[in-house]
Amino acid sequence: MPKNILGREIPEFIEGYGKTLPFMGEHARKPEGNRAGPKLRAAFSDRTSKVVPDLKAAIAASGLKSGMTVSFHHHLRNGDFVVNAVIDACAEMGIRDLTLFPTALFGVHKKLIEHIKSGVIRRIMGSVNGPIGQMVSEGGMDVPVVLRSHGGRPRAVVSGDVKIDVAFVAAPTADAYGNLCGSQGKSACGSLGYAFTDAMYADCVVAVTDNLVPFPAAPVSIPQIYADIVAVMESIGDPAGIVSGTTRITRDPLRLLISKYASRLIEASPYFKEGISFQTGAGGISLAVTAFMKEAMKKRGVRGSFGLGGITGYFVDLLKEGYVEKLMDVQSFDLEAVKSIAENPNHIEISADWYANPWNAGTAVNMLDVVILGATEMDRDFNVNVNTEADGALLHGIGGHQDTAAGAKLTIISQPLLRGRIPCVVDQVYSVTTPGEVVDALVTEYGVTINPRRKDLIDACQAAGNVPLVSMDELVARAHEMCGPTDPVETENRIIGVIEWRDGTVIDVVKQLKKK
Amino acid sequence: MRLRRTMLYLPGNNPNMLLRGHLFAPDGLILDLEDAVAVREKDAARILIRDVLKRGEFGSCEVTVRINGLDTEYWRKDIETLVPLGRLDGVRAPKVDDAATVKQLDEALSEIEEKAGLEVGKTKIFCLLETARGIFNTYDIATASPRVTAVIPGGEDLTADLRTNRSPEGTELEGIRKSVIVAARAAGVDALDTVFPRITDDEGLKRETEFIKQLGFDGKSVIHPNQIPIIHEVFTPTEKEIERARKIVAAAKEAAERGLGAVQVDGRMVDAPVVKRALFTLTRAGLLEEGTDNA
Amino acid sequence: MKTAQAGTVESMDCLVTVSETDPGTGIALTLAGASVARFSKAMDKAVRETLGQLEIKDLTITVQDNGALDLVLKARVEAAVTRLKGGDEA
Repeated sequence: MPKNILGREIPEFIEGYGKTLPFMGEHARKPEGNRAGPKLRAAFSDRTSKVVPDLKAAIAASGLKSGMTVSFHHHLRNGDFVVNAVIDACAEMGIRDLTLFPTALFGVHKKLIEHIKSGVIRRIMGSVNGPIGQMVSEGGMDVPVVLRSHGGRPRAVVSGDVKIDVAFVAAPTADAYGNLCGSQGKSACGSLGYAFTDAMYADCVVAVTDNLVPFPAAPVSIPQIYADIVAVMESIGDPAGIVSGTTRITRDPLRLLISKYASRLIEASPYFKEGISFQTGAGGISLAVTAFMKEAMKKRGVRGSFGLGGITGYFVDLLKEGYVEKLMDVQSFDLEAVKSIAENPNHIEISADWYANPWNAGTAVNMLDVVILGATEMDRDFNVNVNTEADGALLHGIGGHQDTAAGAKLTIISQPLLRGRIPCVVDQVYSVTTPGEVVDALVTEYGVTINPRRKDLIDACQAAGNVPLVSMDELVARAHEMCGPTDPVETENRIIGVIEWRDGTVIDVVKQLKKK
Repeated sequence: MRLRRTMLYLPGNNPNMLLRGHLFAPDGLILDLEDAVAVREKDAARILIRDVLKRGEFGSCEVTVRINGLDTEYWRKDIETLVPLGRLDGVRAPKVDDAATVKQLDEALSEIEEKAGLEVGKTKIFCLLETARGIFNTYDIATASPRVTAVIPGGEDLTADLRTNRSPEGTELEGIRKSVIVAARAAGVDALDTVFPRITDDEGLKRETEFIKQLGFDGKSVIHPNQIPIIHEVFTPTEKEIERARKIVAAAKEAAERGLGAVQVDGRMVDAPVVKRALFTLTRAGLLEEGTDNA
Repeated sequence: MKTAQAGTVESMDCLVTVSETDPGTGIALTLAGASVARFSKAMDKAVRETLGQLEIKDLTITVQDNGALDLVLKARVEAAVTRLKGGDEA
């Protein structure tokens, strides 16, 4: 069987996916041709409202038919009512064999399992978490899921790899002519970053709102020129699940220790200087790294240029206190972030395309100095797995992992060496999400492990004198000694998941788990 | 001179903490078989600690076990199981009231060390003074055996025995801390302070540590890893202190090389104890190998 | 039937439950929990080794794991068996 550059066996053709292009390196694939485009349409002054009475009317008006592709964004996160309501309505209307193309799914969407079983949903392109991931891993879908990063997904859309028939855009605020905004309304979610590309490239765009305001709505995230239909629901989501409360910095000593080592690495690196930009996300370790960095910035009088990615209240404070000049926000995690993006012109809403798509004239991640990311596993070659759990089940999406790792000048994976008995370093990862060529360092409770190709960073850490360095060999040996030998994951031959690199080549495939 | 700025208690029946405690790099570890372990779990904890000691991975920490009190049925079994492994630097004995308690423990340890083929006297004793009697007898306790290496005033138990309680200001412990430090210095052992119980009160911990450092204490017992960096920070000498210590050490070295008895720094005479203190300052700053003591 | 337990279900620990069985029935071992998916062979080996050292030939034993390393698993098995035999009070 043909292998990609990482030695992963990738069949030339995968049933339900099609012909494959093997991953050949970070920048190996070059784009060709022109961007794809949606169907042309026209609207005239005889129709000044796009509002329809309910979801079913919207679905009917959209022309959605069995076998088509529907897209959703995940800004309402675990509070989302829209995905389930739309698919329920499709099922009642007898629409089947849909391709679901979400930017991500959450636990609240486990209800979709019944629609997968009954054939309403035939295929999923997007992350499959929790119960749906478990079901897919056990062979519960006939067609493999396709996993793409936050940048790989818009690339697939603008390049025409994926054609969206109908995009359903949950909109916390909308007017009757389809101007949409995320930062206002009872279901406010802040940035609508993940919805932009879908709105621009779908043949039909249905905005779904629970806060219809008089025309024209302001401010506007996605303008009226994209929305074909506006559907009103009683409620598009549960605010408690949409945004979290104030995100607190962890007090867990192990995570704090790892954060401290990570921030020392950053401080020792050549990027810790005036104008530093960084993305740290909302995870426990990431947030603590940000806190330690703030201290270091204060002490050394360094000010940052921008913070990127999913934005929390902690980053908002950095902006207010002048530690960063701007925030570039593709997703607002908490109430403070939602409030800030609505009020502060230096808190910029950016689309997924702008954030991370490798095939445009320049994406935000390319300007990034430092990113802190997680992993379920990393191997001797610094390849990272974030998609499958220790038992081989697909449980997490890629998110911006590939994109930020590729873009940032310093990519740090921070992760405890042990989660229970399960080590995060292995001889070879079970599945590859992000290749070692774009990963610079791993930080665990045992210290900082630097990719040997970054000799400059090793030197910088040694010069700093306070960064405990531990080699990958040493770390793997320690994991072996503590955890003992692992049993192999037993699989069938059938491929149930295809992991694409952000350029659309296949970096790995995931196989169906053997029944126990 | 071993640094004992922080000694971290690890609950004896908690594998997570027993295996990971050393990662937080306290100066010492206290694997706790006493208060942190329920009576019906003493057996399981003893087995667990035994196996963790056998594995023996504790970074550069000084490794001790807090055994059960000599007034209980458990303490003998604690040391019989754990001391022969040869990995322990010391035992921390709770509720030491008088010299006789120390002597009893000393004899039991000698017997076990001899039987196990270990150097007799290897296992140091850390004495917890948790009663008014214990405090009153500090000097006698500290000199009851050459094994005694540190005395530690208790917190909660002691204040109860004094018929008061612990306050944020520590008024009730002030006199005790002062008397313990005098006795410890007179006996030539370390004085280690009691734990700071409010684990999320970083500011309070910093204040208390600054206070006990100024009194002369060598360090503090710790009940949460997050307290370690705060205490180390307080005990880390300032740039100014380091600079002065360097000058003193350099001058002493030069004087020794030239065969001069007297040492002069910045026009002032400096005697041997000051040089020793300067070396200790550099050790605390991490600028000298631990154990370096050539003054 | 006499039963004993040792350990907890806290992180990096395991709860071991042992019961006496008739002589000649052998070791009946059930493993459950966090590490089983990838470490069942190692866990099986650790439990049987420990029972061998303790000279236990007949036993029903259940391990509810939450990420225990071998060292911890072995210590918990020993503690549970010691309690079952009752010869060794705390």
